[in-house]
Amino acid sequence: MPDKKKTATVKGFCCNYTARLSGDVLLEIGIAPDDLQIERLACTGRLEVTAVLDAFSQGAEAVFVAGCRHGSCHNVSGSKRAAKRVIEIKKTLQELGIEPERVEMFLVPRGESEPVVAAYKEMAGRIDRFGRFHKE
Amino acid sequence: MIIAERKPLSEILGMIQGMHRILVLGCRGCVAVCSSGGDKEVAVLASALRLGAVKAGSDMSFGVQTLVRQCDPEYLAPLAEMAKGYDAVISTACGVGVNFIADRCPGVRVLPGLNTTFYGANLSSGEWREMCAGCGSCVLHLTGGLCPVARCAKGLSNGPCGGSVGGRCEINPETACVWHRIHDKLTDLGEADRLMDIMPIKDWRTAGHGGPRKRIREELLP
Amino acid sequence: MIKAGSNLENILTNGQFAVTGELGPPKSGNYDVVREKARILKGYVDAANITDCQTAIVRMSSLTAGLIAMSEGVEPVMQMTCRDRNRIAIQAEVLGASALGIKNLLCLTGDHQKFGNHPQSKGVFDMDSIQLLGMIRQMRDEKRFQCGEEIKEAEPRLFLGAAANPFADPFEYRPKRLAKKVSAGASFVQTQIIYNVEKFKKFMEMVCDLGLHEKVYILAGVTPPKSLGMARYMKNNVPGLDVTDDIIKRLQGAKDQKEEGINIAVDIINQVREIKGVHGVHVMAIEWEQAVPEIVKRAGLDKRPEMKGFEPRLGARAEIEDAVKKAEQESGRLAPEIDRLKNEVTAANAIAVKEQDRVSGLSAEVERLKKEVRDTQLSMEQKEKEVSRLRAELSQAMSELEAVKAQAASGQSIFVQEQDACETDFIFDPSGGDMTARDQVILNSLTLGLESLRKALGLNEDQFEAIKRFMEAQFVISTGGRQSPAVSAAPVTTAKAVESKPVRVIDTKPAQSEVVADVVAPSIQSQEDLLRKEVVNLIAKANVAMHKKDYETALKTFESALAIDASDVKAQEGAKKARNAMGTVAQPAVSSFALPARPDEITPEQWSFKWLVRYVAQGNVALSAGDKSRAVEAFRKALAIDSKDEKAVAGLKNAEAMQEGAISPKSEMSVAIQPEAVAPKSEPVLAAVRSEVQPEVKAKPAMSAVEAKPVAVTSVAAPVSAGDFEFAREAKSLTERAGAMPANLFIERCSGSIKPVTIGDGDKAVTVGGMNTLPFHLFEGEMANAPRIALDVLDVAPEDWPDSLARHYSDVIGDPVKWAQKSVNEYSAEAICFSMVSADPNGLNRPAKDVAAVAKAVVDAVDVPVIVWGCGNAEKDTELLRELTGLTGNKKVCIAPLTDANYRGLGATAMALQIPVVAATPIDVNLAKQLNILLENLGVSLSSILMDTSIGAVGYGLEYTYSVMERIRLAALTQQDEKLSVPFICNLGREVWKTKETKQPSSELLGDQERRGIMMEAVTAASLMLAGGELMIMRHPQAVRLAKAFIQGLM
Repeated sequence: MPDKKKTATVKGFCCNYTARLSGDVLLEIGIAPDDLQIERLACTGRLEVTAVLDAFSQGAEAVFVAGCRHGSCHNVSGSKRAAKRVIEIKKTLQELGIEPERVEMFLVPRGESEPVVAAYKEMAGRIDRFGRFHKE
Repeated sequence: MIIAERKPLSEILGMIQGMHRILVLGCRGCVAVCSSGGDKEVAVLASALRLGAVKAGSDMSFGVQTLVRQCDPEYLAPLAEMAKGYDAVISTACGVGVNFIADRCPGVRVLPGLNTTFYGANLSSGEWREMCAGCGSCVLHLTGGLCPVARCAKGLSNGPCGGSVGGRCEINPETACVWHRIHDKLTDLGEADRLMDIMPIKDWRTAGHGGPRKRIREELLP
Repeated sequence: MIKAGSNLENILTNGQFAVTGELGPPKSGNYDVVREKARILKGYVDAANITDCQTAIVRMSSLTAGLIAMSEGVEPVMQMTCRDRNRIAIQAEVLGASALGIKNLLCLTGDHQKFGNHPQSKGVFDMDSIQLLGMIRQMRDEKRFQCGEEIKEAEPRLFLGAAANPFADPFEYRPKRLAKKVSAGASFVQTQIIYNVEKFKKFMEMVCDLGLHEKVYILAGVTPPKSLGMARYMKNNVPGLDVTDDIIKRLQGAKDQKEEGINIAVDIINQVREIKGVHGVHVMAIEWEQAVPEIVKRAGLDKRPEMKGFEPRLGARAEIEDAVKKAEQESGRLAPEIDRLKNEVTAANAIAVKEQDRVSGLSAEVERLKKEVRDTQLSMEQKEKEVSRLRAELSQAMSELEAVKAQAASGQSIFVQEQDACETDFIFDPSGGDMTARDQVILNSLTLGLESLRKALGLNEDQFEAIKRFMEAQFVISTGGRQSPAVSAAPVTTAKAVESKPVRVIDTKPAQSEVVADVVAPSIQSQEDLLRKEVVNLIAKANVAMHKKDYETALKTFESALAIDASDVKAQEGAKKARNAMGTVAQPAVSSFALPARPDEITPEQWSFKWLVRYVAQGNVALSAGDKSRAVEAFRKALAIDSKDEKAVAGLKNAEAMQEGAISPKSEMSVAIQPEAVAPKSEPVLAAVRSEVQPEVKAKPAMSAVEAKPVAVTSVAAPVSAGDFEFAREAKSLTERAGAMPANLFIERCSGSIKPVTIGDGDKAVTVGGMNTLPFHLFEGEMANAPRIALDVLDVAPEDWPDSLARHYSDVIGDPVKWAQKSVNEYSAEAICFSMVSADPNGLNRPAKDVAAVAKAVVDAVDVPVIVWGCGNAEKDTELLRELTGLTGNKKVCIAPLTDANYRGLGATAMALQIPVVAATPIDVNLAKQLNILLENLGVSLSSILMDTSIGAVGYGLEYTYSVMERIRLAALTQQDEKLSVPFICNLGREVWKTKETKQPSSELLGDQERRGIMMEAVTAASLMLAGGELMIMRHPQAVRLAKAFIQGLM
């Protein structure tokens, strides 16, 4: 069973190539660890549906997945598979009465931090729009 | 293979409302192959239910286990111990597994996690089609191996109805008219004459209309 | 070989070109729809297919509709599908159809349920159409059921048909499938709708190649397209239907699409009948049966062969029609006879009615005459009585005259007669002119007697005048010529003057009684008993004076009594008491008037100071109101108490200096409301009180925005005097004020009315209710009875009454009988509510018997109606009120409260004694109505029910009360809700006086305590009356007076 520790408000799953720089940058530009937590995967193709659902269960109000643009994935189709899983997760969220927009797949250029920051800001904005679904 | 699909989450959450500890029990048989009730699916189902519970603010907790098969007594035996401390077991086996647990494990409240849909084949990754109705009296030798009982909307025995157009079924144009295909197949096989034979009225007792079916092999009985 | 012998089979086997039609049963149980459709087809088709829930939409069953068609003379082709029935049901149906004469059966698999209106249903499909054909043929030819069991008799004889679709795929297999159907048992085949004739031709060629055209009769399916839209729909949406572009084009180019549709059908018929193997046509005009005759006619097929083999078993139409025709003929023959008999009966009736009228007219006349005789007798008796009464009076007067005469003669008169006093005028002088008093009494009674006599005897003025003059003459003679001639010159004036104030002669002026005593004592022949009577009389009068605290008069009167009988103990005691009382009254030597009785707990000094302050205040009020005389009087009174009081001196000076004001409103209201403690600067008080009262008055004409504007007190037009208060009344009527506005715009009359309910007995009985308009909407209807006010009397000394209320009853609290009497005599209560709080099991819990006895005493002690109000405990009240009504018997006391818990017992009691009741419910329209209904069901008349819907005082839920009462009243008046058409009783006093506002002491913020309570009670009462309240139970005398003024102001 996954442990009950609180995760940040926004959780990001990034592949090795998109997250390496971004994590530090985020901290540098003043995003608190409580606001964002980045989980680094070797490739977003490795993304587990359960990992995203559990992130929500453990306190995340929104989750983004940042993978490589199609064609530039080191593992050829890793980010494509991740995108399909995100669609499946969206369906599950909808079934549970949670806004499917709380999870999103972002295809970002490798090694740049701005697109990841933008992804975070987008998701933080969505939380503002939807409000929190976790009961206090 | 038995094909099944996950029940809507809201329906499952409805079943377990008011309970506290739930065991989600997978099966590595048919349902694992058709990606509806194996290890992977059980984990996802448990995560989804957990999230549903979090959203509802309930304190439900979920355990996850998977058995090799839920339709054999020897694989089911550990369940009696496993289920201790749980309010209910959600089985993601086909209906057979759920029934078998209900039959064999007194004291365990078993709930279905799947809808068991049909006997089908895996056309390609993520697609399954019905091929057999389990009617108990196979006529496939007369129809070029294609089943009119399972695959014709009206279960016709004597050729395509007047709604067959361009090889498609009138019920759903995505579905092939099985009688059209039987016609073509038998013609190809040089057995077109069979199409002139009148198939007699079917005896439906073997299809379950004669009561629940069973099969005995004397020599294998213990 | 003939299979079934149906008309269709006969025609086909004879080689004639057959025409079949189609009849779609309705989606209802409408018999007539089927009949209509059958009538259209009759004569144009050899048989008509009756569809079996076509396209899987639920419709009337094929068998049933087929039977109806048969009754209209149309041979049905029953259709049977495999979708809805298993082999058991199908065989059963077929047996039934055969039994009823159906001879054609078309065997189909049936459209899939997905296309119908129940796509959720389970499709049966126990077999397919080919297996169905085989099963029925086996039943017919082998006389065996599908299972093989033998059909022992009457096997179904049916001409079996099947469908064929030449346009479905695989095309080359279609003739083979037809062959299967033929070999399974089909004798005829109806094809799918043909538009593509070429393709059909090819199909038929293949059919002929298989030799089927010799084994089966093929009927080509034809449908006229009703419109271009229908053609397109069939082309695109119906699988297995081949609508050619040519057909679409023909319809597109057509002026009249329907006409073109018929032409298309005719053309197709003409084409297909030339094709080898076609034995007939099947015309399917879907929901357009009317087209069939036209198509058949134009195709030259309208000469249908005579029906043969058509044998309906049930209700053949023609037979029924024959029977009807026969019956009609028969009735035509009988009609004149019936008419003749009818006329005879009518004539006989008319004679009977006339005769009856005559008889009843005669008996009415007899009744009338009887009544007249009775009335005459009665009035004669009455007149006789009156005459004898008057005679007696006359003789008494005469004897009194005699007595006076005798007294005059004996010279025992103890008063000096002043001759000149009567010389000038004989007009009564209440101050007691020494001569007139005695004569006055005599003359007064004489004149009154005469007047009555005149009325009773019906004398005219002249006759009366004559008698009066005779009497006066007699009077002059008998008084020994003491009367001057001038007296007789003004007798009429005398009579009038005396008549107008007859009561005051003896009763009100204590001084008078003395004189009368003097007069009477020596006059009556010195007889002992007469003297005794006089003494008793005097003592009584003296006691009255004592009670009024007029000790001086009392003393004098006692002394008069002692003058007659010095030994009378009561008079002696009375005189003593009077003297003592006089001694205790704070009475400054200089004062020319007496202060009211001083309560024991106040010292004489305090008392006179209080009154000094009060008089100065009164003076100031009068001064500010411009009432000079009153101001002067008040200040003088103040100075009489303390001649050095500066304020009084200054006030008097101002008052005397003041010009007599044009306006001199009565100021009692302000005075009365002023409590002792109010300081001299009481001007704002008056203004405040007035402004508090004023808005209520204006509530009545609050019809337009203009009137809602506050109007200055002094500018209000005609004041209406109501007791001590003045309420401004609108000088102009509503109609005048409405100007040119038509009355129907602001007048909304009600259709219902409130039942009048009477409580109490005799003259003092009170009737409330009876209005047919909203409260005080006198411009819309009538209020037959004004709201009435009852005073609350408690059976024990109340513990929670504030002194500001209790002080008005301080002398009687604890003595319910005296309390009730005081309420009636001093505070003019129109009814008494006797609240028996001591019976409460949660309180004193006094036994019902004891409480009832006290209540009985109260009921007996007053002549106004009494409402006996229980303690609110349902059980105890039942016991208590039963006990009480046992004591009071038929007296019309009103019993209260009846609740849903005890209405049965008490309702029965009320019904037995015919006494009114109060139905009490907790502030809810429906509960109130329900209790009324329950009481009525019990037998209690609605006109003896008063509703108590529970009251909230102002600030304590008044608006809730108001709204509930208003809704009830509106339901009663505008919706004729009879069960709510009963008057309201509002027990508001107890609600008001338990509020904390009535108990908080006077303070700068909250103002004077007593005035606060009075206003709360008065405002509550006024509001409830505006909501429809008819009988108000109140407590404070001053609030009662305000409420009365309010009523008078609005009525």
